[in-house]
Amino acid sequence: MRLQDQVAVVTGGSRGIGKAICQAFAAEGAKVAIVYRGSQEAAAQLAQELQSMGREAQAWQVDVADTAAVMKCAEEIHQKWGRVDILVNNAGIIKDGLFMQMDPANWKDVINTNLGGTFNFSRAVVEWMFRQRKGRVINISSVAADRVNRGQANYVASKGAINAFTKALAIELASRGVTVNAIAPGFIETDMSETVRNMAGDAIKKMIPMRRYGKPEDIAKVAVFLASDDSAYITGQVVTVDGGLGLGVMAG
Amino acid sequence: MPTKEEIYKKVSDTLADSLNVEPDEITPASTLQEDLGAESIDFLDIVFRLERGFGIKIPRDELFPESVFQGDPQFVQEGKVTPAGIDELRKKLPYADVDGFAADPQFKNLGDLFTVDMITKYIESKLAAGQ
Repeated sequence: MRLQDQVAVVTGGSRGIGKAICQAFAAEGAKVAIVYRGSQEAAAQLAQELQSMGREAQAWQVDVADTAAVMKCAEEIHQKWGRVDILVNNAGIIKDGLFMQMDPANWKDVINTNLGGTFNFSRAVVEWMFRQRKGRVINISSVAADRVNRGQANYVASKGAINAFTKALAIELASRGVTVNAIAPGFIETDMSETVRNMAGDAIKKMIPMRRYGKPEDIAKVAVFLASDDSAYITGQVVTVDGGLGLGVMAG
Repeated sequence: MPTKEEIYKKVSDTLADSLNVEPDEITPASTLQEDLGAESIDFLDIVFRLERGFGIKIPRDELFPESVFQGDPQFVQEGKVTPAGIDELRKKLPYADVDGFAADPQFKNLGDLFTVDMITKYIESKLAAGQ
C-alpha cells in the first residue's frame, strides 16, 4: 500500500471528487480526515465505510472559508493523529452568472471558499509538514482555469489563482521535502457538474476527445500518485485530467 | 544549564543539519547567508529546530527580525546604515557584533550580523532567563 498510516486531510470530502479521493487514500492505507460543510449524513456514512475497510477515519464539519474554524479543525486532526502528511484542498463551489449580472456576494463566496479555503487549510497544516520534512499538498483546480467558460468569472478566477498559488507555495517548500501540485479536472460526473451536463447534453461530450465524462475515480487515482512517494520529484505542477478536453478539438 | 561550548556545539550541529553543510565548515564567525548559504526559508527552519533542540520558544522576529529597518530612511541613507540605524540594530540584535559592523556600515552587508556566535549568545541568554 502506497499511503500506509499516512494522515490525509481532504476538504469537500463527503461527496464527488473528494469522496473518491478519501476512498482511494483509505484503500492505500491512509488515515483520513473527511472535512465537509453541509452533507453531514454523507460524511458520517463515508467515515463508516472507511472504518469498515479497517482504516481510521473521522468526519469534521467546517466551512473552509472560516479561517479561525479551519485552524481549530486542523489542530484537532493533528491532536488525534499526531501529524498531517497529505492535504487535499478540494472544497469548491460554483455560483455562476454572467459577469454584468454577477452579485458581488457570489464573487466573494466563490473566491473565499475556493481560493480562501485553499489558503486557510494550507496555512494551518503546512508548518507541520515543513517540520516533518515531508508532506504533500494537492489542490483541486479545474481545466476551466485555462479553458474558460461564460458565466464563470468568479469560479475561473478562483481556479486560475489556485494554479498560481500552487507554484508559489511549491517554491517555498521544495527544499524541505514538501511538494505542492494541482489537479485540473475536466468534466467529471459529480453533482457540481450535473446541471451543465444535463443542459448541454451530448454537445459537451463532442468537445471531449475521449467522448466520455470523467469519473471521480479518474481524479482520485492521480491524487494517490501525487500523494505517494512515486511523485517525490514533482512539484509546482498542474496535472490536467480531462480526457483531452483542453486540447481544444475542432469539428471534422 | 549547558556550558557555552555545549550550546555552541548543538547550534553548530543544528545548522549543519538544516543547511546541509559539513560541521567542520562552521566556525563561530560564520555568517548564515554568505558563508553557510542560508536562504529566507532556512531561517524559519533553523528557528523550528532550535526550539525543538533546546526546548525553548523563540518568538517570531526576535532572533531573526524579518525586516530590521522596514525601509525607514532615517536608518539607511545612500546605502549606508546611519548612526540612528546602528542604535536600532543594537536594540533589535543585542547579541550581534554591531560594533564590528559599524566600522563599515554598508547596508548590503547587514546579513553579516547573523553569525553562529550571535545565535549561540542568544540561546545562552534564553536558557539563562528560563532558569
